[in-house]
Amino acid sequence: MRLPTPADLCWNVKCSPDQEWIERTLRIAVENVWPRALEAAHSRNGHGSHVVEIVESAIEHAVCRLKTGDPLGPEPVTQLLQRLVLEEVRRRRRANSRMVFVGSSEELPPKPVRNPQIQIDCALDLEIILQGEHPDVRLALLLRYSRFRWSEIAAALGTTEAAVRIRCKRAIERIREKQEGEQHES
Amino acid sequence: MIVALSCSSRKDAVTVTEHPSIPLDNEDDSLLFEKLQEHVLAHYPNPERKGCPDPSVLKNLIENPSDVTLAQLNDLHIFKCAECTRLLMELREKKKHTQASE
Repeated sequence: MRLPTPADLCWNVKCSPDQEWIERTLRIAVENVWPRALEAAHSRNGHGSHVVEIVESAIEHAVCRLKTGDPLGPEPVTQLLQRLVLEEVRRRRRANSRMVFVGSSEELPPKPVRNPQIQIDCALDLEIILQGEHPDVRLALLLRYSRFRWSEIAAALGTTEAAVRIRCKRAIERIREKQEGEQHES
Repeated sequence: MIVALSCSSRKDAVTVTEHPSIPLDNEDDSLLFEKLQEHVLAHYPNPERKGCPDPSVLKNLIENPSDVTLAQLNDLHIFKCAECTRLLMELREKKKHTQASE
């Protein structure tokens, strides 16, 4: 997996002028932590596909902690971010281990059944898909739905086009899967 | 950082991006959102305009998107409302015409 730029991963970090050191040191920390994060995500989950989500979550927690303390240099911030990344990996692993399979695939109907409530299901699915996303992602998708270009959306959210597209990529993939499912059913 | 170039001739193409993992053009997701709009227009009529944000909010969304919040839009309501979708499309078209004539 290619290394997203620290700016891409730190896109949501917004600090006051006197706390600009947070963003500066976090960018360095992200560069330092990325290889270890990728390795940790892979070894814990069997794949590294969620590493961007994991690092973004760790960055959010790191910002909360750094805002309440004195300015730190890149080294302690790197250590903090690394610890938060590992905590997030462990948290996700615990959450996954709590998933329980009920029944077996043999109990499923042999082929998809046309659901008369499909309209309601679709609405619920879209809400479920997007409610878990960051409010900025939901707003970005609403703007995209309103035919704004990605560059315009990025300007509205005060970030870069690449960052906003990365941020929305997962949700768009889920919507695409849902839409393709709908087409197959109809 | 590798800068990737695309020579796509498609009209909605983004020719340069700094991030190779992102598709180089956005035509595919334009199509996705068009289909989504069609789906909403066909399946979510809301003639009584239940839960709709004020039309001025939708107008503001088109004119000044950075000034509008999700709360003002009633969160994801637009994804389930043909009336709001239709109005948004009209407002967007109007803005395009205005920009073209300027």
